[in-house]
Amino acid sequence: MSRHVGIVGVGQTHHSRRRTDVSQAGLVREAVDRALADAKLTIDEIDSIVVATGPVLFGAVNMPEKWVIDACGGRMKPVVRITSGGGTGLAGALAAYYQIAGGQHERVLVVAYDKLSEGALQYSISTLYDPFWGREFAVGIMGFSAAYWRARMDILGHTEEAAAMVSVKNHTNALKNPYAHVKKAITVDDVMKSRPLAWPIKLLDVPPISDGAAAIVLSSEKMAAKSTDRPAWILGIGYFCEADNAAARSMLVSEPLALAARRIYRAAGITNPRRQFDVVEVQEPYTCFELSYYESLGLCAPGEAAALIASGATQIDGDIPVNPSGGCMGANPIGAAGLVRLIEAAAQVMGKAGEHQIPNAKLALAQSGGGWANLRGVAVVSA
Amino acid sequence: MLQAPDSYPIDRPPLKSTLSMPYTLTPGRAAGVFLAETKNRRLVGSRCGSSGLVCVPAQDFCPSSGGADMELVAAPHTGAITGFTQTRAGIIATIRIDGADFDFVHRIVGAEFAALKVGMRVEAVWAQTPTQSIMDIEGFRPAPDAPVGTIEPLGEAAEPLPMKPYHMDLHYEHAFGPFYGRMFDEIGTNRRLMGVRSTHIDGALLPPREVDDISYTKTGTWVTVPDTGTVRAMSVIHLEFKGQKEPPPYIYAEIQLDGAVTRLIHSIKGIDMSRASELVKPGTRVRAVWSDARTGSLSDISHFQPIPDDVEPTST
Repeated sequence: MSRHVGIVGVGQTHHSRRRTDVSQAGLVREAVDRALADAKLTIDEIDSIVVATGPVLFGAVNMPEKWVIDACGGRMKPVVRITSGGGTGLAGALAAYYQIAGGQHERVLVVAYDKLSEGALQYSISTLYDPFWGREFAVGIMGFSAAYWRARMDILGHTEEAAAMVSVKNHTNALKNPYAHVKKAITVDDVMKSRPLAWPIKLLDVPPISDGAAAIVLSSEKMAAKSTDRPAWILGIGYFCEADNAAARSMLVSEPLALAARRIYRAAGITNPRRQFDVVEVQEPYTCFELSYYESLGLCAPGEAAALIASGATQIDGDIPVNPSGGCMGANPIGAAGLVRLIEAAAQVMGKAGEHQIPNAKLALAQSGGGWANLRGVAVVSA
Repeated sequence: MLQAPDSYPIDRPPLKSTLSMPYTLTPGRAAGVFLAETKNRRLVGSRCGSSGLVCVPAQDFCPSSGGADMELVAAPHTGAITGFTQTRAGIIATIRIDGADFDFVHRIVGAEFAALKVGMRVEAVWAQTPTQSIMDIEGFRPAPDAPVGTIEPLGEAAEPLPMKPYHMDLHYEHAFGPFYGRMFDEIGTNRRLMGVRSTHIDGALLPPREVDDISYTKTGTWVTVPDTGTVRAMSVIHLEFKGQKEPPPYIYAEIQLDGAVTRLIHSIKGIDMSRASELVKPGTRVRAVWSDARTGSLSDISHFQPIPDDVEPTST
């Protein structure tokens, strides 16, 4: 029987397009200091540390956990690095969760970051393709993401207009998020007329490129009270994968995400996600993914995502708000983005999400993923 | 049981690949001031407010306490060797600057390896032309009579260097292995696209592989697939980015070759690109246009091109 694990402290940097005042290590420290302060703990009270970052090609430092040890307080503690592309942050939290649930440690700090201003992003991401098979035609993850969206358009009705509504919703929500750096009120028309980058993906379907870090403190039930009387309890967390080039790989539904959701919902007692969740945070690398996730996460049936966004249900005042923080549209430090989603979900059920707090939120869902859309995970947190 | 694939050994040299990555790295406050001050021939260190220990070069976080309250200080240009080794790039040593509590690595100049000893006194030799890097110190040379320096207050200092250009060229040699080797050999030599089948799948897996991903069973016979197929997904690329192989606009497409159960990524051309999104869509039939080059890679196919009025074969 695994032990209960709660999130007892969260922190993130004020994300930005480029931070020239801090190194990657300095960015890490800011988030760690904020999470420890939030958890009312010192680094001495942390048993173990998980460092989570995106591909090392983003930042030119191999084995970056070595570089940031002094910055994250890892000296003479267990330290591991977890990396899983865009899903890095959630995968890092999962590693920390296992350490506590399995009884190994009482309190674990997770810090996730990327300083994307420093490298050539699409070029770096293109190296996740097989060097023999496909890399020469890769356009980061944007090329395949746009192509898959095009496939869903005909069959599932994920129109450009529906995706534009996602962009408008998330941009509007980001205006209320103090940590977001893109603060721009836009309209559906602005999105539709924005410059195509990888059609159907247009400029305003794409989140920014950001420098940022995020950190959380996970705690066992026994030690949680010192930090807060209202932890965000993790009712379930999982991360699933599908093969790269398997036969008949679906472009219509994210099978690993649907599987992760099914398994974790069962663990968390979720039978009707749309009705039960008070709030959802998804990591949308492009607007089209948010539409797809509505379906994979069971917030609506396949083919109903466009109607769901159009109905207003996923707006901040709707019955199933998605990304009240603004999601990745407000800030997108890739390695940290998954952890930021978990932090935002946790902050909602801890009642400290600030201006974008959903009143009385008790149960929240966070989603994150990486790779060639083939690694996907979810976490369910509860007050 | 199907026979193991006929993966006769193919003497293919490895695929050479170079990633040429540009960066703009931010050193942060302490290292940034260090790099900004080397042109003034000053060595900047940092003293931790909680441990009292001094790092040279300056660091933002104390290696001992992890403290962040670092006061920047001026360090002397002298110190002692704490360890050394001979490399092809010269003699490399760990050096403890006078008054510092931690070592750093640099080069020893103007000395024979045999004459070096741990504890030997050294002093910095400054490069003629500053480049705002640690190599503004050319190295350290023996200075047996140099007096022991002390850590002093920094006084007025330059603003930290906000960004530093950096570059990595990473060279790889990827082994083909028997499956990729056979496939690319067939592409280069016979202009033939080949995949493998497994007992569980009624179609060809491309790229070919030893084990089927879904059933975890060994794949069986090799099969040839035609160079025609159906577009399953596409995008019109307008984005320009570093490392791109061809100038936009072009079509990124995932194509299912006839008889294959996997998709191939390639580009589609030979159409009016201003109408790309209406001319090419999921379901569009395409044919490979081979290039004159025979490199034994996917780029031996120049691109794919729509086949007007063609329909997808109903059985594979």
